[in-house]
Amino acid sequence: VTGKPVKVKITYCAECGYEPQALDLTKALMYEFGTQIAAIEIIPWESGTFDVSVDGELVHSMRRDGGFPQQATVKSAVRSRIGSAPAV
Amino acid sequence: MTLDRARWDKGITYDAFKGAMTRNQERFAQNESRVTLDPETVRQFRSLPEGVRILVLAEDWCGDVVANLPVLGRLAQEVPTLDVRVFLRDQNLDLMERWLNQGKYQSIPVFVFFDRDFRELGHWIERPASVTERRAQERRKIFAAHPEFGSPDAPVDQLPEDVRTRLQAELQKMRDDMVPFANAEVQRELRDLVSRVAV
Repeated sequence: VTGKPVKVKITYCAECGYEPQALDLTKALMYEFGTQIAAIEIIPWESGTFDVSVDGELVHSMRRDGGFPQQATVKSAVRSRIGSAPAV
Repeated sequence: MTLDRARWDKGITYDAFKGAMTRNQERFAQNESRVTLDPETVRQFRSLPEGVRILVLAEDWCGDVVANLPVLGRLAQEVPTLDVRVFLRDQNLDLMERWLNQGKYQSIPVFVFFDRDFRELGHWIERPASVTERRAQERRKIFAAHPEFGSPDAPVDQLPEDVRTRLQAELQKMRDDMVPFANAEVQRELRDLVSRVAV
């Protein structure tokens, strides 16, 4: 647990049209964590990618885990990194 | 679900699809302008009996649609007897379910050939396997030539931004360079399909 704002990176396959999923996740994280997140970097990529990392730790990979991440999974990873309780 | 005339008429023409695109329109037009038709492909398509219909499942956000549908579009321009209708995948999932890639993936584009009585003659999905294979080979070469790019299987967000940007440029160049090969392979597969189904 760092207590510091965390950096999230979302790498999505632009060729596959994964923009809606990337944007939905971005929006969910912005609303949930506000300034507890230092930055959200959205990286257009290829090859069926949908990866999410929190402070450099890969918390979801479409290739590794299959499918898109559950928002709850990513939120949980961010929360455990910053050490905050879930927003009520 | 059967395909009949009423359903067929709900599809839009190739030109209408192009006109309705909300993204990738310029890229699509550029790809269309880069298609060089093989005379043998045109000859085989011209030998098809009149009334052959080609159902296309597509979406304008899909890279394979933007790359490969222009090849069919150019063929249809050369062979005006072909009746091509485009159905948006996400609004026609019942159609999509009929032509899943490997029985499970909703890959597009899908080209389904029918005779005038809506009997299926054959279909083609997504992209040639040879293109996928060549792309993977070229990708491996790029990573082998640039150790700074790391492993091809590693998440790219771990790379420093300047390195990632260079990798992105290399991959884009590789894809651009491969367009003539890919277009030729799409035509080869469509030619094979047509030669098998010619009535």
